Amino acid sequence: MPEELMIGAVMVIGGGISGMQAALDIADSGFFVYLVEKTGAIGGAMPQYNKVFPTNDCSMCIIAPKLVECGRHPNISIMTLSRVLDISGQAGNFTVRVQENPRYVDPGKCIACGQCSAHCPKSVDDSFNSNIAKRKAIYIKYPQAVPLKYQIDPEACLRLNQPGTCGICAEICPPGAINFDEQAKERDIRVGALVMALGFQTFDPTKGKVWGYGVYPNVITSLQFERYLAPNGPTDGILARPSDGKPVKKIAFLQCIGSRDKNHCNNEYCSAVCCMYAIKEAIMAKEVNPELDISIFYMDMRASGKEFDRYYEQARNEYGIKFIRSRIHGVEPRGNQGDLLLHYISPQGKQIEKTLDLVVLSVGLETPDSAVRLAEKIGIHMTPDRFASISAFMPVHTSKNGVFTCGAFNGPRDIPQAVIGGSAAAASVSALLAPVRHTRTRTLPPPVEQDVRLQEPRIGVFICHCGTNIAGVIDVEEVAAYAATLPQVVHVERNLFTCAQDTQDHMVQQIRESGINRIVVAACTPRTHEPLFRKTLKSAGINEYLIEMANIRNQNAWVHNQEPDTATRKAKDLVRMAVAKVATQTALKPLRIRIAPSALIIGGGVAGMTAALNLAHQGYQVHLVEKTAQLGGNALHLFQTWNGEHVPRFLQALGEEVRACFNIEVFYKTTVSAVTGHVGNFTTTLRTGQNRKHTIEHGTIIITTGAKRYIPEEFEYGKIPKVVASIEFDKLHMHNEIRVANGKSFVFIQCVGSRNQERPYCSKSCCTHSIQSAIKLKKEVPSRQIYILYREIRTYGQRERIYNQARELGIIFINYELHGPPKISQNDNGVLVEVWDHVLHRPLEIIADVVILAAATLASPEAVELANLFKLPLNADGFFQEAHAKLRPVEFNVDGIFVAGLAHYPKPLEESISQALAAAAKAGRLLARKEIALEPNTALVDLVRCDGCGLCIEVCPYQAIRLVEYENEAGLAVKTVAIDQVLCKGCGICQGTCPKRGVTVAGFTYDQIEAQIDAALCEALQPREPL
Amino acid sequence: MIYEVKVNELAEEFGVHRNTIRNWINSGTLPAQEGPGRRYQIQWEDYKRLCNKYGRKPRISPQQNGTNESNPTRSNDATFTSVRLHPQANPLYTSPALADICLTCGSCAGACPISGVDDLDPRKIIRMAFLGMNEELLASDWPWKCTMCGKCETVCPMNVEILQLMRRIRSRRDRTKVPVAIQKGVVTCLEKGNNLGIPKDDFILLLKGLGEELAQSAYPDFVTPIDVRGARLLVTVNSKEPFAEPESLSWWWKIFHAAGESWTISSENWEGANWALFSGDYSAMRTIVKRIIENIERLNCQALLLPECGHAYYATRYALERWFPESLQQFKIYTVFDLLLEYVEEKRISLDPTLHNKLTTFHDACNYGRKSLKTFGHGYFEEARTLTRACCRNFVELASNREESYCCGAGGGAWASPFAAERVYHGRIKARQISDSGAKLVVTSCQNCKDQLGISLNREFNLDIEVQYLWELVANSLVKKEEPQS
Repeated sequence: MPEELMIGAVMVIGGGISGMQAALDIADSGFFVYLVEKTGAIGGAMPQYNKVFPTNDCSMCIIAPKLVECGRHPNISIMTLSRVLDISGQAGNFTVRVQENPRYVDPGKCIACGQCSAHCPKSVDDSFNSNIAKRKAIYIKYPQAVPLKYQIDPEACLRLNQPGTCGICAEICPPGAINFDEQAKERDIRVGALVMALGFQTFDPTKGKVWGYGVYPNVITSLQFERYLAPNGPTDGILARPSDGKPVKKIAFLQCIGSRDKNHCNNEYCSAVCCMYAIKEAIMAKEVNPELDISIFYMDMRASGKEFDRYYEQARNEYGIKFIRSRIHGVEPRGNQGDLLLHYISPQGKQIEKTLDLVVLSVGLETPDSAVRLAEKIGIHMTPDRFASISAFMPVHTSKNGVFTCGAFNGPRDIPQAVIGGSAAAASVSALLAPVRHTRTRTLPPPVEQDVRLQEPRIGVFICHCGTNIAGVIDVEEVAAYAATLPQVVHVERNLFTCAQDTQDHMVQQIRESGINRIVVAACTPRTHEPLFRKTLKSAGINEYLIEMANIRNQNAWVHNQEPDTATRKAKDLVRMAVAKVATQTALKPLRIRIAPSALIIGGGVAGMTAALNLAHQGYQVHLVEKTAQLGGNALHLFQTWNGEHVPRFLQALGEEVRACFNIEVFYKTTVSAVTGHVGNFTTTLRTGQNRKHTIEHGTIIITTGAKRYIPEEFEYGKIPKVVASIEFDKLHMHNEIRVANGKSFVFIQCVGSRNQERPYCSKSCCTHSIQSAIKLKKEVPSRQIYILYREIRTYGQRERIYNQARELGIIFINYELHGPPKISQNDNGVLVEVWDHVLHRPLEIIADVVILAAATLASPEAVELANLFKLPLNADGFFQEAHAKLRPVEFNVDGIFVAGLAHYPKPLEESISQALAAAAKAGRLLARKEIALEPNTALVDLVRCDGCGLCIEVCPYQAIRLVEYENEAGLAVKTVAIDQVLCKGCGICQGTCPKRGVTVAGFTYDQIEAQIDAALCEALQPREPL
Repeated sequence: MIYEVKVNELAEEFGVHRNTIRNWINSGTLPAQEGPGRRYQIQWEDYKRLCNKYGRKPRISPQQNGTNESNPTRSNDATFTSVRLHPQANPLYTSPALADICLTCGSCAGACPISGVDDLDPRKIIRMAFLGMNEELLASDWPWKCTMCGKCETVCPMNVEILQLMRRIRSRRDRTKVPVAIQKGVVTCLEKGNNLGIPKDDFILLLKGLGEELAQSAYPDFVTPIDVRGARLLVTVNSKEPFAEPESLSWWWKIFHAAGESWTISSENWEGANWALFSGDYSAMRTIVKRIIENIERLNCQALLLPECGHAYYATRYALERWFPESLQQFKIYTVFDLLLEYVEEKRISLDPTLHNKLTTFHDACNYGRKSLKTFGHGYFEEARTLTRACCRNFVELASNREESYCCGAGGGAWASPFAAERVYHGRIKARQISDSGAKLVVTSCQNCKDQLGISLNREFNLDIEVQYLWELVANSLVKKEEPQS
């Protein structure tokens, strides 16, 4: 399409976490975004969760900053209560017809005071709380909703259903925002690309009567359980039996409700998240009440993600949660007091009856009918499991050019995968629309900053309830009253959620009205939330560094939840210290630096090549470094993806495209030997094959160094020639080597080197890989006997299809978890495999022609060197540790460096590709800015005090300090140090080392720290008159 | 080690009634010494044997770690002989739906009331078939203790055809090893036209006599319509009725009379039951059904009524659909539900709901219910309730009902099989649910169910219930029409 017809705007359909991530990355990459959401507020499913696995972060807390960011982004237009009716046009230039349904509340007028809701006489089931509570006909979806504007439920509203009645809300609304006459509007919006992030709905278990859902009140869904556990939920986090409010003692989780089932529903796929969320919910319940008896009834524990198996083991061993491999056929009542009875067969084959207080149905994910209809309307292909049909090689492209897709609409997946998908879609959009970047965006003029240097400190203290997270333990009123007595405090207030978007607007207003020139936020951790409040300060015209956070949640309410009095005292201490510190804070100016518009990508596998091509298409220069003489990496050993796509062909095309690409320079047989610089301006030294040094400059780095395979030491590998590793077998198979050609009996052994004490993680792709090989063998010669000896079949998501196919072909699966690993020995006829059957509990003997070991994927040994070079963390298994497992899955805490592919964790090809695109999106988003602001919290030299002793130089981990000599006024040569403000990360080691107080970190000066310490120690501070 | 326990504690543990425990003790199934305090002393070995027999986890163990189940391992148990896996020469089945697609999830075994008996359960049966352990399967009695109730199939997430597999296994067994009563019934039916070998003359005599009695007692113009050509409805009979409770035949007759039905009974091959379904003898099943078709054709009837017996309907319908699909176009098949409901809806009979005042429940026979639903697309759930409620106002559902109903324990030929202890054990869940419901009148629509509930479980579990057939209930509730004054 000619550039002049292309439109630099994008529509993202679906405001869940995946859509939000796509919107943010696209908007930050220089395009205008319409974020279309069908409900009244963005956020999707995440706000409903209590916590997230495996980090146990509070779900609302981690999503809140993203909600606010979307809400106030100048280049994101959120369209709520809207649905897409039709799409016409083609890639680069689409016209989208959107229907905006009436809110009946003017968002321009609504101040979210809540009076309407308080007086509304009509209550209905609250779907946000999974119908375990009621809401009014006029309501907000949840307290932190973005936009925080009330809406009227037209189904429930008395007035809308019978004109002339009720109308109390309109009478009572202070700004007169209610408009019962509002009508639906249709708009045509022109965009260059679309991202479908249509999300999922949970399976409705009333469809299968056997589980007793809707019949017995003590049978609830996992989502309802989340709401019971949530401190901000309708029960304030207190778990009681729905039938009679009695305490719960025994809970059972039933897995695979609405998944892996073609009888009670048509969902043959695995929903991929339920095993993990059930573990999480069980842990959360146990944390509150360690006496609980919790059993999880499952078929295969699909804990295949990063740190998932550790979480599973922790649940079992530390929390005492029982895992029982037995699928429950149904729930029956026991007596008439609400008890429930499960009838099941133990893994050992014995009949058991268990009585329970509460049964939680781990409901699966499915695509809503409305999404399927929209897909049909637009003409994008769907899979038989009713998810968007995608190629493993193009995991965010639908069948329609210019229409991208991410999140659970692409198949059931967890939050990190949804976030990665959102970023990956953004990368693909950016590549498509690169010529029209920055044509539709707008930049807001920066607010004029007040000069506060000459002003007396006027401190505003904002104390967050965090729902009941803080207020449930700490007496926040007392803390607020106390804060008002502290010196220089001119304003104190409490907020239900200080991070909510409406609170930000309110804070700006307060700051202006009360003439506040610095603030203390007593809430959670600055790590996740300080950037949010800084932006708020900034928009109030105050320097963004004039803030101090007192962490009265993570470091107080959460850890001292059994001692409310002490916690309240500690909160006061923390607030007093923060006030003392912020009073001495001075305005800082961020350091602005130009960005070198190119990227270094380390590792020329599929992830590296994918990221390289995307960035190149986005218009940036890429240096792709490969240590071998060939591009392709581990994918060179692969033949097909899980759904049967041909890998070598793809790989060849990819390699050719990379080599032909003008913007990509490939360095073969090259490694990285040194790096200096920082985000935006790295200087890297490469060592090429001829041992020559080569220096490049670039703004960002993506690490795609891959992984290596495990060489088995078990199962007679290397001793019996008929025992081979799976990658070797694939080659034998491809060449139809005689062992394979004449083979009649094949035995696959899973988890070789994975999920053991040494490597307690799952290699994620081996189940799928072995099953595929088995299917191929069986299809070639149907009389072949094929056995797969496994511990848990982890064909998560739509991969379940090939597991079903394998069984249908007669492949025999034997689980060796219960009775121990198989024994392998050489025998006259072949290899004798002895294993016990998990159903019959009897020993079996198989004479195998070939035994195939599904060997683990190991972290690359070079990861350690790179990690040291770039100061990046590795996890216990040697894989790169991302900044946040959930919401920052490709980033590091070191700015400007990203990770993708096997270097991060074992994963199948399409997940590597997705992640590579996500990393490219992050890199592209950075490069699109041309210039960045660096944190000014860096070390500064006090020339008077520094005597140039140089102690700090040695201890600086960032090589930011060097010794300099200069002539003073007296003409004498004086030694001192110079600190590179860009290299310095403000860690403060120099400050701690300096014996002369010659160096100090901005924001952590001696004055500030001393003030804080003094405040900490002077408990009996003279209280002054309250405000 | 001695396990000292009270009868009721043991009953609770095994989910059975105190009577069952006493029966086990009296019959020597569970050797026990009566001790002080109404406690019994049981040798641990005997207790463990009992647990094994019924597939239950022992509550205590000599190691004092009763809660931990020990896993059989290679070292500690030499009794397990290895099974050598190899391709099967003569597989039991070909369709992967019969076993291959099994996920080994355990749903079926969890749902089956006799899981664990003889250390087997549906999942193990499927597994053995899948692994080709045919000899062992055919030698096992378990498939004959199974009542073919189909609860396992209803819960299977992969829709494994467990019943078909079970019938395959039954059909492959040497006929001399088939439970004697069942095999004899099938052979007799083939030879004599009915399962019990009632001679034609005796049958006619009986029918006529019953008709005369009815004429004397209630309907003066009544004559038993034997071999009436051109009658609308051919009525088949379960040979148990004329043999054991001939008066039960007249329940139908009263209803026919009240409804003004045109009907007849064939003097030959009148058997409506079809035990070939139990023995897995497909050829016999076909022959017996073919005879019914021949009767219909001979007597020129338009519709067929099958006896109030779940398997009779299931077997006949199954055979018709499988081998004689064209005949389904020629005549209509009535179950007891269809016909009674037709009479009620067409107001040909009226029912008095004031005669039965006990709390009443309906027991869904597996064959009419979930098995019909699965095989033929319709289960007779709502019809049963409409009819029962029309006669009994005071109605309660069992905790598991309709598709989820538990089998009485006597299906699949179990009533005629020698495995009485297992049959009673199977019925424990049904008995518990009936007891929990508080119902004192149980209505059902199947011979086997009625016998099991009314005779066996009633006594074993002290249920104190009355059991009526649906057609019996309707016959007893008939409002006698005023004879129009001429």
